Amino acid sequence: MGKQNAGIWAGLILLAFSVFVFWQSFSLKYRTAFGPGPGMFPRWLSGILIVLSAIYIWQSARKEIYRVSDVLPKGKNLWDVASVVVAVILFMLLVNRTGFMVAGTAMLLIVLIRHFKWYAALAVAFVTSLILFLIFRQLLGIPLPVNAFGW
Amino acid sequence: MDSFAQLIGGFETALSWWNLLYCLIGVTVGMLVGVLPGLGPATATALLIPLTFGMDPVSAIIMLAGVYYGGMYGGTITSVLINTPGEAASVITCLDGYPLAKQGRAGVALGVAAIGSFIGGTISIIGLAMIGPVLAEWALRFGPPEFFALMLFGLVMVVGLLGKSLIRGLIAAFLGLILSLVGRDPVSGTLRFTFGQPNLIEGFDIVTITMGLFGISEIMLGLENMYKTGKLPKVKGLLPRRDELKPTAKAIGRGTVLGFLSGLVPGTSSTIPALLSYSLERQLAKDKSRFGKGAIEGVAGPETANNAYCGSALIPLFTLGIPSSPTIAILLGAFIMHGLTPGPVLFRENPNFVWAIIASMFIGNLLLLILNLPLAGMWAKVATVPPRLLYPVILIISVLGAYSIGNSLWDVGVMLAFGVLGYFMKKLDIPMAPIVLTIVLSKLMETALVQSMTMFEGDLLQFFHRPISAALILLSLVVLVFSIIAEKKNKKSLLAEVEM
Repeated sequence: MGKQNAGIWAGLILLAFSVFVFWQSFSLKYRTAFGPGPGMFPRWLSGILIVLSAIYIWQSARKEIYRVSDVLPKGKNLWDVASVVVAVILFMLLVNRTGFMVAGTAMLLIVLIRHFKWYAALAVAFVTSLILFLIFRQLLGIPLPVNAFGW
Repeated sequence: MDSFAQLIGGFETALSWWNLLYCLIGVTVGMLVGVLPGLGPATATALLIPLTFGMDPVSAIIMLAGVYYGGMYGGTITSVLINTPGEAASVITCLDGYPLAKQGRAGVALGVAAIGSFIGGTISIIGLAMIGPVLAEWALRFGPPEFFALMLFGLVMVVGLLGKSLIRGLIAAFLGLILSLVGRDPVSGTLRFTFGQPNLIEGFDIVTITMGLFGISEIMLGLENMYKTGKLPKVKGLLPRRDELKPTAKAIGRGTVLGFLSGLVPGTSSTIPALLSYSLERQLAKDKSRFGKGAIEGVAGPETANNAYCGSALIPLFTLGIPSSPTIAILLGAFIMHGLTPGPVLFRENPNFVWAIIASMFIGNLLLLILNLPLAGMWAKVATVPPRLLYPVILIISVLGAYSIGNSLWDVGVMLAFGVLGYFMKKLDIPMAPIVLTIVLSKLMETALVQSMTMFEGDLLQFFHRPISAALILLSLVVLVFSIIAEKKNKKSLLAEVEM
């Protein structure tokens, strides 16, 4: 898996995306009675992107080769990178149920826990969330989601 | 004379204590992001935009512009003291700034950089005040074909000059153009690619996308390759030796001219004048071997150039509505969000706004000089904040910033998705600047193109019947050809290393 060509994979995803947009653009009018319609720009842009994707795949296979192992993080770095995604998704799942303070602390804890002792991570996560909660909700008036206790 | 009177009026607005406070906040945040590796002015400007929703447009843009030019000052400090550029344009400063610090002359490097930055920044703002109104008046004659050709030229410059490969630059540009198709068609109002999802009707928000592409991806990369902060050298003695005064002054003069001219060209970045200035100083030096070992001109020239660039790069934005870098593209987004349309009519319809911003930049540059010279050591300490603490804090601020845009988790999700996209784009060396610029410009470009084609009754050759649009399209073709040749000869590597 690690030796596979990441450029080709990226090019194929891009190609699939541009073909999809190209196909979808046919549901929009290319011309109207007044001139170019809403479908003209999408059709040309996606058409050109199809050509660019094909050239990119060709270049990725022949010129600059990026292996999957160069693109994906390895070992402990993998968790560091993945923790950002996991933390934000967890925040999105929690925040409307538990309020900002709990969701924010949980999000930070996930990213911090590998780099600090658990109690230090918890303290940093809680204090940071509290400061930002006060700034955004109280000072800037942004209606952050809160629980039954008001935090 | 008229401009001078309006500038005085601008100072009256900018000097109100409220606007002074916002200017100070802006330049301080700018310094902070300049100092902190991994957090650039583009991300910081995007992060601050949601906080300006309730603000008066003048105060909001004064603060956001402060982040933009303040970032250039901050980046120097870490380049000199710990050999870690805080932002892209300061990469060059490491070459001679860090050796100077190792010789115990960190204070001199920082002092010269701050003074050069102040001179370059101030002169370029004078240029903005003088050239801006004239250029805007001239640009009022532009019709849709000229604007389309101008945006095309700006885009080709970004794609052609930056990034390691033309194809990857073009892919990023077209990806940005396609992503901004989502939502309402700017001409007919038809919904496109919304798939029945109400959140997509207004399209993707530029601020959310930028926070994802620049901020979240940078957090992911930063956590993956955490930098180490070394011990800080002492900062003492801010002025160069007597024998260094003349070459330093000359380097500052040349840096100002180079930086100012580079800013006028749409699509350049602050790295380009810094690079040009460094190579010019090296060429002109009697003893070239000093460069890389602590030549003071190697710090003075590039630092002046990147700050002079900052002021003049606002000229295309203020007069033509064309952003020349991702940070300026985000500023353009902020203009629109606050109900202002950058372009030739801005000087005519909102003179108070424009002149207050210009005046605030004079004040901001002075504040930055004061913040820099005596406090350089303190700023450098900020850079020693461990990244394992810094990145999580930036993450939660980004999440809150994205949430504040529409008080919805949709924007947080979009930001995360673009963050992951940005992470892989960076890993695959696909440049980020074209995608942000095209997202901002796409709707304007489409409108100008559709209007032009309606005017020309579908005959695209009519673009060549108008001298300005013909010249700009031909120039774009020349840049594309030049870029292909440069790529074939592998001449793009230097500029390709840095793109913000």
